Amino acid sequence: MYGYIARRLVQLVFVLIGVSIITFLIMFLIPGNPAYLLAGKNATPQRVAEISVELGLNKPIYVQYGRFVDRLVHGNFGESYQFERPVRQMLQSAIPNTAQLAVAAVLIELLGIPLGIYSALRQYTIWDSTLTTTALIIWGIPVFVLAVFMQYVFGVYLGILPFYGTGGSTFLWVIPADWNNLSHLILPAVTLGIIEVAYISYMQRASMLEVIRSDYVRTARAKGLPERSVILKHSLKNAVIPVLTIAGIDLGALMGGAILTETVFSRYGVGLMVYNAINARDLPVVVGGVLFATFVYVIANLVVDLAYAYIDPRIRYE
Amino acid sequence: MTDTESAASFAEPQLDSPLPVGSENEPVSAKPLGLWADTWRRLRRNKLALVGLGIIIVFLVIGVAQIIAGVTGIHGGYLAPYNPNAVNYTIAKAPPSLAHPFGTDYIGRDVFSRVLVASRISLLVGVIAVSIALALGLALGPLSGYYGGAIDSVIMRVADVFFAFPYILFVLLLVVVLGPGFRNVFIAIGLLSWASYARLVRGTVLSIKTQEYVEAAKAAGASDLRIVFGHVLPNSMAPVYVAIAMGIGGAIVTEAALSFLGIGVQPPTASWGNMISDYLNYLQAGQWWMELFPCLALVITVFGFISFGNGLRDATDPKLKE
Amino acid sequence: MAERLLEVTDLSTHFFTYAGEVKAVDGVSFTLDRDETLGIVGESGSGKTVTAMSVMRLIPDPPGRIVGGTIVHKGRDLLAVSKEEMSDIRGNDVAMIFQDPMTSLNPVFKIGDQIAEVIRRHQGKSKRESWKMAVDLLAKVGIPDPEERVNQYPFEYSGGMRQRAMIAMAISCNPDILIADEPTTALDVTIQAQIMDVIREMQAQYHSGVIMITHDLGVVAQMADKVMVMYGGRTLEDGPVDEVYYNAHHPYTWGLLGSLPRLDETEKQRLTPIEGQPPNLLLLPAGCPFSGRCLYEMPVCAGEFPALEMVEPGHGVHCWIPVAEREKIRAGLPQFVHRVPS
Repeated sequence: MYGYIARRLVQLVFVLIGVSIITFLIMFLIPGNPAYLLAGKNATPQRVAEISVELGLNKPIYVQYGRFVDRLVHGNFGESYQFERPVRQMLQSAIPNTAQLAVAAVLIELLGIPLGIYSALRQYTIWDSTLTTTALIIWGIPVFVLAVFMQYVFGVYLGILPFYGTGGSTFLWVIPADWNNLSHLILPAVTLGIIEVAYISYMQRASMLEVIRSDYVRTARAKGLPERSVILKHSLKNAVIPVLTIAGIDLGALMGGAILTETVFSRYGVGLMVYNAINARDLPVVVGGVLFATFVYVIANLVVDLAYAYIDPRIRYE
Repeated sequence: MTDTESAASFAEPQLDSPLPVGSENEPVSAKPLGLWADTWRRLRRNKLALVGLGIIIVFLVIGVAQIIAGVTGIHGGYLAPYNPNAVNYTIAKAPPSLAHPFGTDYIGRDVFSRVLVASRISLLVGVIAVSIALALGLALGPLSGYYGGAIDSVIMRVADVFFAFPYILFVLLLVVVLGPGFRNVFIAIGLLSWASYARLVRGTVLSIKTQEYVEAAKAAGASDLRIVFGHVLPNSMAPVYVAIAMGIGGAIVTEAALSFLGIGVQPPTASWGNMISDYLNYLQAGQWWMELFPCLALVITVFGFISFGNGLRDATDPKLKE
Repeated sequence: MAERLLEVTDLSTHFFTYAGEVKAVDGVSFTLDRDETLGIVGESGSGKTVTAMSVMRLIPDPPGRIVGGTIVHKGRDLLAVSKEEMSDIRGNDVAMIFQDPMTSLNPVFKIGDQIAEVIRRHQGKSKRESWKMAVDLLAKVGIPDPEERVNQYPFEYSGGMRQRAMIAMAISCNPDILIADEPTTALDVTIQAQIMDVIREMQAQYHSGVIMITHDLGVVAQMADKVMVMYGGRTLEDGPVDEVYYNAHHPYTWGLLGSLPRLDETEKQRLTPIEGQPPNLLLLPAGCPFSGRCLYEMPVCAGEFPALEMVEPGHGVHCWIPVAEREKIRAGLPQFVHRVPS
């Protein structure tokens, strides 16, 4: 187990290095002077010169990369030229809202596991085909289209929930402390979560179908175990393992989805911040937002992998 | 799933036929079916997949027609009842009618024509982006799987990194840096999504390269490259076809999302994504038709690819063969 | 007279697939007594595994269903008992060892858990008692360091050890009937003999009746008292092992025996394969499933399945060729030589 954790942590370091290289390449190997890009389109020549020196643009490329990493390690994502504020500050104020949205969406997403299992156990019934078809249709809906739809139906047409903005207060950053806060959370969280529910339930169904046809489930039946034990004990654990990994990888889509969802619902957060920065060509803010989301994603996947090892002895003892 | 006995012979060789023998509940047919005939037979039973295939065909026909019109300039470069960019304030915000089945938008452009013509953006992005990713994947994957060793390690570690970050965010970052526009969208998607193709091809190459017919080709003196492209590749493609179908659907969504965020295809060129973004405010004012139809076009097309991709995966997955 | 453990009469199990109805088992009958071993031989698709799964009532439905016959165990028809009663019988009175030990054990539970679970289920023992019994069982089937090994997971076991663990699990409740479905096919040749020995030892100790399903006539010669030859879902010939081997009456059995390597002729021996393809279960003839591949086929063969004909007491055959004719043909075939039971 410890060996596995250690190896996973080493891997994490490599991934972070890889991500920093790719980000560096994207930003610095683009034709033209990256200082212009980073300074923004209305920057003064002095500001461009300042940034050039700060980035070490006159130095060899490995020095530039070194400085880039050094700044990242110190949490220095540069300064927003639009607001003339450090990106780090902007992130700090935007993160709690986004965290709330992401946590809520993940909690909703977990509904996909029981739905998928139920569907697999009722294969060839009307339930299964209905659930599967619905899942497939929802899975194919781009998150911003669903957001537009939810906003219109529940916010504008039915008028039962606020359809833009943020409000109220929270407890421990993410737990809604009042109705005002919760009501602003529901539509974006359901939008983001329901697509994941569709995806996860589809995957869970496939995985469960494979498991209940496996030899070891047949063995469990041959041992005379009651059907409840065959399903709950011998099938469930094996069927959930691959879905956990899929769910981890899918957090990336959820991060991207958060940007779009926050944009449609004008919900203050990292996503809306990045959207506004995109339109203002405020590159430091875009990079800061993307790197922050990447970091969360990488850490979340680490957690998923550790959970995976906890469940699956083959990995634990490797 | 019951009788999974190997096709081994009774005592020693060749009592059983050299042909694979079906298990008792999935017997072999009179004539052994080819890989594709067999896949088609399974696919045909999956109604959702057939609906998906139908959608893809309709989408391809419309998209290709628009591309041909655009390239040749026939009929003003579009195949639609109206010029998709013709502004006419006198008929602005008209709800659907016989003359304008999808209504008109806030400056009187025909929404139906715009939705039709925009299909070419989706088709081009889907095909070109996936082609770029696939070309990279097909170059690196077999290299990795066939040679193994250091080449394999390097390629797969790099692929790991590409898997370890949220792809959509880096597409966004790359497009922001490259600047908005149609071309940069497919370059960004293509460059950042190669890893899954490479990994898929590598995996199947690994499982296949030890099989006998590859040994036979080697023994017959075929060169390494001919082995890879002549024997290994065609046999490892089934999961890749699935990934292509899913990948095109994914690229279409990504383009639409980027255009929705304002960094994809730029107005006045119609794309489903920028139409959805453009008409959003009018939905809230009750002029639903502008927003509804591009949304429907996008959702139906993406559903087609995902549904077909899923069906193809089920039809080619040996584990699901009953 | 030994105790009759199992009497299967006219068992038919069909699969209803998209391509059509597959008669995987069609009118099969056999009996099994205490301390007796029955070998069921046949190629892939002959219906031998489906026969075993039918006795266990483990046919996946859909697509499969037992459409006819009776399976009487100690006076009770297993096809008539409720699902709950059947699950009390499975693992307790009738136990099964599967072909592939690599996939037949649950990867995420300890070996000890998987054995103790059966004991708790059928004998109502406590957790601790059943765990201790699991250790003893592992020792019995020849797992070294059972105290240690009981705590391990399947992936920490070799293939042979997993099959030993499967055997321990199967015998844990002292079953009347032990069904072994090609228990050694997936294993190394050197391990195969060991596993067969374990099964034999367990049978001697627990006095079970064993059904040994195999495609290997050598295994049957070593292990079985009587043998049933299956093809295309039908029984073609059955009887005591010596009788069937030395006095085979069905052309298919001749073919099987002709493809056995001979031990006495070391040089230039030729195995004679059976010509043609294994049958397509969807397109079986109404008559003998071997027709179409049989060298001595007659017009009647494909049309109607021949009735059971007893050539000796306990030795039955289904074949249209008249018995005198069969003996004449057999006399012209090269003499069969058999692996002597070791």
